[in-house]
Amino acid sequence: MFSVATFIDSFGPLLYAARYTLLISGLGIALGLVIGALICAARLSPFPALRRFAAVWVSFLRGVPLLVQLLLVYYLLPVIGIDVPAMVAAVVTVGICASAYVSEIWRGAIAALPRGQSEAAVAIGMSPGDIWTRIILPQAVSLSLPALVNELILLVKASSLVSVVGIMEITRASQAQAATTYRPLEVYIAAACIYLAINLCLAAVGRVLEHRMAV
Amino acid sequence: MVQASSVEIAKVNKFYGPFHALKDIDLSIAPGKVTCLIGPSGSGKSTLLRCINFLEEYSSGEIRIDGQLIGYKTPGGAKMSGRDLRTMRRSIGMVFQQFNLWPHMTALENVAEGLRRVRGLSRTEAEARAAEALRKVGLGDRMANHPSRLSGGQQQRVAIARAIAMEPKLMLFDEPTSALDPELVGEVLNVMKALAAEGMTMVVVTHEMGFAAHVADRVAFMEKGELVAVDAPARILHQPEDPRIQAFLRTYHERNLF
Ligand SMILES: Nc1ncnc2c1ncn2[C@@H]1O[C@H](COP(=O)(O)OP(=O)(O)O)[C@@H](O)[C@H]1O
Ligand SMILES: [Mg+2]
Repeated sequence: MFSVATFIDSFGPLLYAARYTLLISGLGIALGLVIGALICAARLSPFPALRRFAAVWVSFLRGVPLLVQLLLVYYLLPVIGIDVPAMVAAVVTVGICASAYVSEIWRGAIAALPRGQSEAAVAIGMSPGDIWTRIILPQAVSLSLPALVNELILLVKASSLVSVVGIMEITRASQAQAATTYRPLEVYIAAACIYLAINLCLAAVGRVLEHRMAV
Repeated sequence: MVQASSVEIAKVNKFYGPFHALKDIDLSIAPGKVTCLIGPSGSGKSTLLRCINFLEEYSSGEIRIDGQLIGYKTPGGAKMSGRDLRTMRRSIGMVFQQFNLWPHMTALENVAEGLRRVRGLSRTEAEARAAEALRKVGLGDRMANHPSRLSGGQQQRVAIARAIAMEPKLMLFDEPTSALDPELVGEVLNVMKALAAEGMTMVVVTHEMGFAAHVADRVAFMEKGELVAVDAPARILHQPEDPRIQAFLRTYHERNLF
């Protein structure tokens, strides 16, 4: 029998745990935006060594599962004598992983702009700095917003993986709750509801951004 | 009357890898004169035009604007600094086939941008001059529109306003009407005619033979990277001696028969 009471009771601890899910994915995307911008800049730079570094960075982070990256960092840090809270290690790992996807999103948005727009700016004597800040970036950023929201949704889901390093986010909290109540089905349905609610909100934001852009 | 530049092109060659795109081009353009570049597609017209403001690097030879070499410090020497090149480009306007307006800015902002960033004018001053340039091309009532809300002819006129607001002494046009619906060609050509009448030096790549015949002082015919002939419009368009020009005009006339 489905226990409605257990289902409803699960929301208390799971919603408490949701703050960690939001914190990890929110800080993760923020860090990913910063590092992703640097990687994208390196990728588009005139220096072959930087370009190669960025390409390797992106293909490593996209080619290795986040779960493996988290475990690597978790076991590597003590070995090299770095002692940071699991939460910090998790956010940094998620952020670095996100940076690979973010840099590709930005590279794509920049490449999507017709070359003639920069040429017209060059032709009237604008400097490279002005061309980036006035012509390319404003358009690339707004072009990339829907894809970035999508990336954030993926991060919210991927943050469930940090449960392996002991952080009490939604998934880990559900496992604990399932173990104490012996009612895994009710608990996991509640967890699914919370993930879904978060991501539906984000998707709605994404649609608003996309719509605003289409005008 | 505008202050107009002269252009001296001497022995210019351009290679794309092994491909010889411009072959020993010589062409001088006196201040205030309109020169039309015609010729088959792929003959190097755009390449030559783009070498004049160094949007495309020429491989050898010299291009001088008012006697000043563009792109290189000395003929065949090191490249000019970015800053010096930008200074020279300020007085050379360019209009592209695809307009190349900035879609995230209004018509007014498109025109004011260069005045603010390149000429360093205040926003108010830049917008006042931009508005004046837009009125000059007949778009005084479209200043708040974004490019996506303008017809092709209006977009190209904004692009011309963007160039002339910088008060250039030389204007380069690369097939400015080729992307336009036929009924919108006239409004753009009229703006160009008015500019020519003001005494602007203009180099125009075009397939509009009517414009070449009536507005140009000289017409240059290019084929396969060579400048075959430069002469008065009538002598190129009506009594060409070179068989290559005759052949080009024949296909042009055949295409325009219906
Ligand atoms: N960036 C480039 N790389 C290689 N070849 C080019 C490039 N740009 C132009 N070309 C070649 O140079 C020739 C002249 O091109 P272009 O000046 O655009 O001709 P036109 O404007 O007369 O049609 C063409 O054969 C074209 O394929
Ligand atoms: Mg061309």
